[in-house]
Amino acid sequence: MNITSFALRNIQRNWHRSLVTTGAMAFAGMIMILYVSFIEGIYLGGLRSALALNLGEIQIHAKGYRSDPDLYTRIMDEKGTLTKLSDLGLHATPRLFGYGLAAAGTASAGVQIRGVYVDLEKRVIKLHEYLAEGTWLDQQDAKGVVVGRRLARTLGVKPGGEVVIVSQAADGSMANDLFHVRGVLKSVSDEIDRGGFFMLETTFRKLMILPEGVHEIVIMRDGKKTDLKQETAHLAAMFPDYEVDSWRTLSPMMATIMDSSDTSIYILLLITYVAVAMVVLNAMLMSVFERIREFGIMKAIGFGPWQLIALIYTETVIQIIIAIVLALALGLPLSYYYQVNGIDLTNFVSGTTFGGIAFDPIWRTLITPRAVISPIVTLAIIALIAVIYPAVKAALIRPVSAIHHQ
Amino acid sequence: MSQALANDPKREDIVRLVDVSKIYRQGKIEVRAVDNLSLEIDTGDFCALCGPSGSGKTTVLNMIGGLDIPTHGQVFLERRDLASLSRGEVAAIRRDRIGFVFQAYNLIPVMTAYENAEFVLKLQGVSAVECHTRVMTILKEVGLVGLEHRRPDEMSGGQQQRVAIARAIVTRPAIVLADEPTANVDSATADSLLDLMQKLNRQDGITFLFSTHDKRVMDRARRIVRMRDGRIESDEVQG
Repeated sequence: MNITSFALRNIQRNWHRSLVTTGAMAFAGMIMILYVSFIEGIYLGGLRSALALNLGEIQIHAKGYRSDPDLYTRIMDEKGTLTKLSDLGLHATPRLFGYGLAAAGTASAGVQIRGVYVDLEKRVIKLHEYLAEGTWLDQQDAKGVVVGRRLARTLGVKPGGEVVIVSQAADGSMANDLFHVRGVLKSVSDEIDRGGFFMLETTFRKLMILPEGVHEIVIMRDGKKTDLKQETAHLAAMFPDYEVDSWRTLSPMMATIMDSSDTSIYILLLITYVAVAMVVLNAMLMSVFERIREFGIMKAIGFGPWQLIALIYTETVIQIIIAIVLALALGLPLSYYYQVNGIDLTNFVSGTTFGGIAFDPIWRTLITPRAVISPIVTLAIIALIAVIYPAVKAALIRPVSAIHHQ
Repeated sequence: MSQALANDPKREDIVRLVDVSKIYRQGKIEVRAVDNLSLEIDTGDFCALCGPSGSGKTTVLNMIGGLDIPTHGQVFLERRDLASLSRGEVAAIRRDRIGFVFQAYNLIPVMTAYENAEFVLKLQGVSAVECHTRVMTILKEVGLVGLEHRRPDEMSGGQQQRVAIARAIVTRPAIVLADEPTANVDSATADSLLDLMQKLNRQDGITFLFSTHDKRVMDRARRIVRMRDGRIESDEVQG
C-alpha cells in the first residue's frame, strides 16, 4: 500500500472529523474567493472605470498646465505628438479645457468645458458608453453637448433641454452660446459629475476662439503589458518639453486606495485563515493523539520519522485539495453570479465617490486570477503550516511509550 | 569487558547487552525495571526470557529492538551500538533486521491482513511481484489463506496474532522479538504458532527471543533466561 492510499484510508477512517476539517477549509476558501472577487470588482472595477472613463493611464500636458490650468498653456504640436505615440502602438486623444458658467432657466453652475475629438476619444476613453440618458456627441450636431449627472440635476435639464454657456474667450472677448443637451452621464467622478460639460473640439475652438493647440493628451496602453513607470519615463524622455505623468501621479489618492486594497485583502485573508488554521491544527492534533499507539507500532516495525511526517502531510494535502476543489466549485459560481447580477445598493450609496473615483452603486464581483489564486494559495500555506506541529509531534513519538499509550 | 567483548569476531552473538539498566521515574519514585544486566543472544537461538510480571522481560525486548533506550549501559545488535545511531538508522534496523510480535497483536487497523503483512516489505522497497509472492507464501504458512482481505476487526485474536507473526517473519529478519506471543490465543493456536516459529528457526536460522511465562513456550525453548527484579536469575540451555 503506498502512502497516498494509506493516507486516504486514514481520512476515511474518521470521516466526521475529516468532513469538518475539509468543510471548514472549503467554506473559508469559498468566502475568501467571493470576498476578494468583490474587492477586485469594487476597487479594480473602480480603478478601471476611472482610467477608462476619464484619466487614461498616462497624460501629457504643456509645462506648468497642471499647476495652473490656463487656457493659453497648450501643447502646440499635437499632431506630431500623436503620430509619435501612434508609432509606439499607443492610443491617444487630445482634449481642450475651458471654464465658464452654465445657465438653464433660473439655475446656473460653474462648469469645466471640454472640447473632445469624438473619433479619437472613442478609441481611448469609454465615456461614450457611460450615459445615463440620451446619446453621446455627434460630429453632425455642432451644438449638442453632454453634461455630468449632478450638473444636469443642478441646472434641471434633460436630453433635449437648452443650456447657455458664458465664458471668456482666448482673445479676451465674451464667449457665449446656446447649446442643447444630447446626453447626461452616469456618475463618473466628482469633477465630471458636478461640472462636466462636453462638446465637439471644433465647437470648443469656435466658442473659445482657440484655433490651435490642445491642453491635454490622454494615453491608454490597451493590451500593452509594459511597466507603467518605465513607459511613463520613456515618454517623458521622448517629450522633454512637456510634462508626462502616469495616473498614479495624477491621482495619488486613487493610487493609495488601490495599494491599500491589496493590504486589506491580505489582512482579511490572514485573519480568516488563522481561524481555519486553528480548526486544522485541532483536527490534526486530535487525529495524531488518537493514533499515537498506531504510530508507535508503525515506528516499531520500521516506519521512519520522515515517513510519518510524509503520511500526515499527505493526509493534509489530500484534504486541502478536496477543500480547494469544493471552494472553487462553490466560490466561482457564486462570484460569477454576483459578477453578472451584482448587489444593487443604489438606495444606500448612489453617487458615492472615494478619492475622486465614482463607485458603481451596483457592487459586482470581478473574477481575476488574483481573486482565485490568492485565497487558495493562502489556504494551502496556512493549513500546511498548521500541521507542522502535529506532524513533528508524531515523528518524535518514542515507540515504546506510544505503544503503551491508552 | 564491554567494548572488547562486543568486538570479538569469534563470537556469533546477534544481541549483546552490557551492564544495562533501565530506570523509570514515577513522580519522586525511581523504578529500576532492569538492573545492571548483561546478556548475549547467539545467532540462531530460540530463547525465552521468563519471569513474573514486572521482572523486566518486556523492557529488555524493547531495548534490544531500539524501542526504548537504556538509562545506563550499551545494547549491541549485530555488533552495532544502538545508542550511536540516529532515529532514522534505528528505524531502518527495525525495518530490515528485526521482526516484532506484540502481545496485543498491534496490527494497523485500516489495513487488511495482506496489507499488514506486506507493509514492511513495501517499506523495504521490495517489488510488487516479489511482495505478493512472499506475502501469499507466509500467509499460507500461518494458515490465513482466504482471510487476506479481512481487516483486524474482522478476525479473531488467534488470526490477528498469526497476521502479526506473518508481518514479523515475512521480511526474513535476523531476529524476531516476541512479547508474550501466546498470551491471548487458545492452546491449539499457540501450538501451531510455536510450530511455525520453531520451523522458521530451524529452517531459516532466524533467531527468536521470547518474553513469556507460558510453559508451552518454555518447553520448546532451547535456552531459558529467568529474570527477577530486573536481573538475570538463571540462564540455562535445555537438552
